[in-house]
Amino acid sequence: MSDAHEPPIEYAGSSVFVRDDLRASHCAVLDAVRRPGAWFTGAERIAIAAESRRAPDCPLCRARKAALSPEHPRSDHERAAGGRDLPAAVVEVAHRVRTDSGRLTRAWFERAIASGLAVEPYVEVVGIVTLLAGLDYFCRALGVPPLPLPAPLPGEPSRHRPAGLCSGIAWVPLLAPEDASGPEANLYDAAPLVPNIARALSAVPDGVRLLQQATRSHYVSLADLGNPMKGRAIDRMQIELVAARVSAINECFY
Amino acid sequence: MSGSLHGATVDLSAVNSPDGDDAGVVHGARLLAFTDAAIGQDDGALARERSSLRAVLSDEAFVDTCAVIGAFNVVDRIADATGIPLDAGMAAMSGEVRKELDLARFASSANSPGL
Repeated sequence: MSDAHEPPIEYAGSSVFVRDDLRASHCAVLDAVRRPGAWFTGAERIAIAAESRRAPDCPLCRARKAALSPEHPRSDHERAAGGRDLPAAVVEVAHRVRTDSGRLTRAWFERAIASGLAVEPYVEVVGIVTLLAGLDYFCRALGVPPLPLPAPLPGEPSRHRPAGLCSGIAWVPLLAPEDASGPEANLYDAAPLVPNIARALSAVPDGVRLLQQATRSHYVSLADLGNPMKGRAIDRMQIELVAARVSAINECFY
Repeated sequence: MSGSLHGATVDLSAVNSPDGDDAGVVHGARLLAFTDAAIGQDDGALARERSSLRAVLSDEAFVDTCAVIGAFNVVDRIADATGIPLDAGMAAMSGEVRKELDLARFASSANSPGL
């Protein structure tokens, strides 16, 4: 029988207190991953998450990361036990986004879509992989093991596609605040500034909501982005230095 | 290379090539070394840098640092996997910094043509 209570969050062995909003964000990510999403079942979403965790140890991913071009060598990914039934394109996305996102190209994205992975499911995979990566890097930095993946919950995907998506700006369609309506009417929470990063997962709106929660608790809220005085126990300069260094290592232009 | 925030000067070269200096940021050297170790694969180095950082930061500040590392491992991947272009407003605010950091060398700069 599936446990519908929130997944327990224990930072095993940690000697520091993890503030409540961080803990809530991590719980929300794991709870979301175990539930059916827009395009994948809970079991598939957990399998995708497990694949992304497997990726750093995947021989193909290691070889690609070390190679001058991520397009060579070519082989099959070493899959996690639960990922055997996932389509190859899903596994490729899960592994590449986790291990070598800085060298992703539009051509690679188009190949993933051409291989049968529709754009909205692609966005859902990206949401799962990236949010879990953040959680895992937090734990690694903190000095605790990765939080265990919960058991999946039953149910069918919603197949919800928000109205108002606009193609042509990014690789994936985006929902602009002025076009958000119906269930997505309050998606961006009336923030004065909604940059593209906040819209990037909008083809799967629950990804946007999780990202907002993660950003508020791990960095600063959208409303405070432009406020250089907004910091935490570390000041804004310290925050931005760490952030810039992470992005430099990840080779992220944005 | 330098930038300023609220009148303070930050040595931007430390972002690309940390050299053990604080870069104009309180505990900057330790923050950078810890960040590198957290993203790297050397568990021993991470343990050493964690101890070094915790020696100068409060528990809350240490957790905040871990949180920022987590956050940007999310948003970097989202940006690069969705091909979003840099927003015009953000580009205008950060143009000089981006130039000094030579961010155009990254493959993902192709998603923001002209910047």
